[in-house]
Amino acid sequence: VGADNRELVQGTLEMLVLKTLALESMHGYGMALRIEQISKGVFRVNPGSLLPALSRLERSGRIRGDWRSSENNRRARYYTLTAVGRKALEQERRQWGRQIAAIDRILEA
Amino acid sequence: MLRNLISGVWALLRPVERNAQIGEELQSFFAASVEDKIRNGMSPESAQRAARIEIGSREMIRHKVWSAGWESWVDSLVRDLRFAMRQLRKSPGFAATVIGTLALGIGAAAAMFTVVDHVLLEPAPYRNAGRLVEIQEVDKSGRNAWPQPWLDIEQWQEQGRAFEGIAFSRGTVNGRTFLQQGRMTVEVGAEEVSANLLPMLGVQPLMGRGFLPVTPSLGPDKNAGTIVLSYAVWQAMGGPRDVLGRTVQINDTAWTVVGVMPSGFRYPANTYGMGQVWTPVELDKDDTVRDNTANSYMVMGRLQPGEAAAAAQAEIDTIQRRLAPEWGSAVREDHSQMKVERYTGTLVAADVRKALLALLAAAGVLWLIASLNATNLLLARGTARQREIAMRRALGAGRWRIVQQMLVEGSMMSAAAGGLGIGLAATAVKVLGHEIAPRLPLPVPARPDGWIVAALVGMTAVSALVSAAWPAWIAARAPVEPALKQGGQQTGHSRQHNRIRGALVALEVAMSLTLLMGCGLLLRTIYDLRQVPLGYRTDHILVASLDVPAYRYANQDMTTELYQPLLERVQHLHGVDSAGLMTQVPLGETFRMWLRMRLKGRDVNATMTAATPGVEKVFDFPMAAGRFFNADDTPTSQTVVVVNEAFARAYSPDKHNPAAVLGTKLMGSDRGAKPATYAQVVGVLQDVHQVGIGRPSMPEVEVCLTQIAPQSTFYNMLDEIAMDLAVRTGQPEKVMAPGLRDALRQASPELAGTKITTMDEVVEDSYGSQMLAAHLLEIFGGSALLLCVAGLYGLLAYVVNQRTREIGVRIALGAPRGNVLWLVLRQAGAMLTAGVAMGIGLALASGRLARGFLYGVKPHDAWTLAGAAALLLACGMLAAYVPARRAARIDPMEALRVE
Repeated sequence: VGADNRELVQGTLEMLVLKTLALESMHGYGMALRIEQISKGVFRVNPGSLLPALSRLERSGRIRGDWRSSENNRRARYYTLTAVGRKALEQERRQWGRQIAAIDRILEA
Repeated sequence: MLRNLISGVWALLRPVERNAQIGEELQSFFAASVEDKIRNGMSPESAQRAARIEIGSREMIRHKVWSAGWESWVDSLVRDLRFAMRQLRKSPGFAATVIGTLALGIGAAAAMFTVVDHVLLEPAPYRNAGRLVEIQEVDKSGRNAWPQPWLDIEQWQEQGRAFEGIAFSRGTVNGRTFLQQGRMTVEVGAEEVSANLLPMLGVQPLMGRGFLPVTPSLGPDKNAGTIVLSYAVWQAMGGPRDVLGRTVQINDTAWTVVGVMPSGFRYPANTYGMGQVWTPVELDKDDTVRDNTANSYMVMGRLQPGEAAAAAQAEIDTIQRRLAPEWGSAVREDHSQMKVERYTGTLVAADVRKALLALLAAAGVLWLIASLNATNLLLARGTARQREIAMRRALGAGRWRIVQQMLVEGSMMSAAAGGLGIGLAATAVKVLGHEIAPRLPLPVPARPDGWIVAALVGMTAVSALVSAAWPAWIAARAPVEPALKQGGQQTGHSRQHNRIRGALVALEVAMSLTLLMGCGLLLRTIYDLRQVPLGYRTDHILVASLDVPAYRYANQDMTTELYQPLLERVQHLHGVDSAGLMTQVPLGETFRMWLRMRLKGRDVNATMTAATPGVEKVFDFPMAAGRFFNADDTPTSQTVVVVNEAFARAYSPDKHNPAAVLGTKLMGSDRGAKPATYAQVVGVLQDVHQVGIGRPSMPEVEVCLTQIAPQSTFYNMLDEIAMDLAVRTGQPEKVMAPGLRDALRQASPELAGTKITTMDEVVEDSYGSQMLAAHLLEIFGGSALLLCVAGLYGLLAYVVNQRTREIGVRIALGAPRGNVLWLVLRQAGAMLTAGVAMGIGLALASGRLARGFLYGVKPHDAWTLAGAAALLLACGMLAAYVPARRAARIDPMEALRVE
């Protein structure tokens, strides 16, 4: 079935998280939902990989998390992109672009 | 980076908070998911169920988040350490055996390696010591070496192309040297050295310029009256900063200090235990001749880089051949051969070198046995834990995680063993230093060598880690299911393991047999040595070895001014039956002098001692013919000598009748200028072992001390260097020693520190290297035996435990208990027999190593071998009997219920 297709390409989850947060601060479930919606259901992110990724990103200072109340008055941990994170996103994006282009060339050849 | 560190540490210190935080976030994720699903039209119940399924195991996620940081690794290590501690505490016997075994191996090996490395491999504290050679002339036998006259040395310096430099030195000729410091007098070693010697050795003085470079010439040069001190002497003076330029008194002569050598420097390299001073050689008229009235020197050369000692030898030989006609001396022609030898090789006598190497091999074998034993125990434990490992894998532990756990356990044991081993090694080196030092020409280091210890601990740790992790690795690779399913613990795997472990035990047995064999041979040797009749009495004799203060009697007759009054005083002490003086008591190790004389036109070589008439009574020396000295032998009467049977056998006119030598006249050789002086042989002593009980007697000539006056030919050598006082007394040593010491102090203040022992101790000390080797091998052999027994017991106990169920079934089906006992013993017997068979081969092959130390027993002595094998077999079977009996007593009901 599609189970395999829904797995993210290794190592891209952190980049997608950064990109998602570039627009606005969000909590974990919000991010998972957003990634699923924008990818039109191709990627589904489960908490087993999302939460460790968030922990890693926060450790390295690319995002910052703090507890806030959500729209319907529920406490949730909202994450915000930091300056370091913004720079990292730029870099990863460029690198990703280069890689995709290279892979494309190989596939087209 | 910093944030990472801080939050990691926080997580480690506050694991509960961290976990709660993760849980809370997960909960909010869950809540948001449920809400979202309800909003999309699900019922609350199904939304919750769907969300729960989507998220999966919360515990798993919590673990994953936790593992994302570095702190999780630390955390698991701490857990592993705790777990390993618990495991070891649960089986303290096992842990103690492994740790003790490994520590024993490390300790023994590190100590022996340190001593051997230091004494045999790094014996001389000089720059590129390997390029230093000693140049000597030897007689035709090649055994006895003689020093060189300056004129020859000068030729070598000019013509020797193989040498970077040639230097020379000689010990002070006139007796012993004392450094005088106010009221204190310290004995020091003194050596006259050529100005280029210290630079050639490549060691700079710690302070001062040392000697100035000069071309050797007759008479005093720029260096006259200057002196270089060893670090120890400088320290003995109180280590003054302004020592340079100061005056020190040595044997009543004043010298100006021009240098202090660094700590640890010594020359000659085999002098230690006392401070040293170096003064410049001053050439005099005795350096203008080549015959054997010339001053003679010990010669050191430094080879050009890449030059072989053999090439230098050839060169010196050529030069000597050209010089030969100029010698003008029959004696010098007698030993016209030259010997150029690496200096480092001359420092340790061949038998001591062999002893050390044999002991080194023994220590190495002990280390191997210890490692094998630990390996065996660890393998057994690992195999026994296969089910536990399978269980843990079934519960989700990763393979690497399990191996890591075992590695942690192995390294904990290795670390403990390493620590303990280092402690043991430090103690062992101290003990060795204490025991060996008197028998070695070089100092023994005070503590084990760091690199050696590190290497040994490292190798031991690797072997322990491999044997700890190996079974876990195998078990972790095996499929989980069968390991869990099987009722018993018997699998093909463990059978194979048992075979390997059986082979290891057999190997242990073989190596232990070799050590036990060596130990047995040495014990037999010592037993045999003790049975050799000495030919004189050794009981109730005190021996005082005097530090002869010859300088104090420079212009006096020591015989009449020092020795006779001393003897007089001692003879009148209460409790003294008789007393005598002798340059060296038999088997003593103070000083041995060889002399060359002529007897009826033939050259005679013999060792020479001087003795007073009294020693005959003290030792009860038996005479083979003639008489010993008596009170009528005085400086004015005919000079007389007493020889021994070995001398008579070699030089008597009638080989079969020792008495025929009586009355013959002995003359000094070469000093032919004084034909009037001769000595008459008046007695023949029965042979006495002079050097060692295991060595044959050498020809010996004894002269009467009371006849020796300063004008006598050998006054310098006989009166001024060494003298032993021997006293026969009915009193114990403790009672006599103080009075004796008083008498010595009254005779001369330097004698107050004289060492007083008993003759029995002197004899005991003469067993020397055999005794030491025997003691060490007793320790090594005993440890090996113990390890073997532990290894065998460990394996069998484990096998029995593993086969409990099978044996239970056998017994339940009616097998007699005797058969079960036999079943286990047979297994032990097979291992032991295989080991002993291998061991016999090994022991016979290595027997050659021990040959040099043995006396009265062959290196492949069948009785000793049989004894060692029997001891091993007996101990082995005893070790096997315990688990065998346990097997025979297994209660079938209980055994079958166990699983």
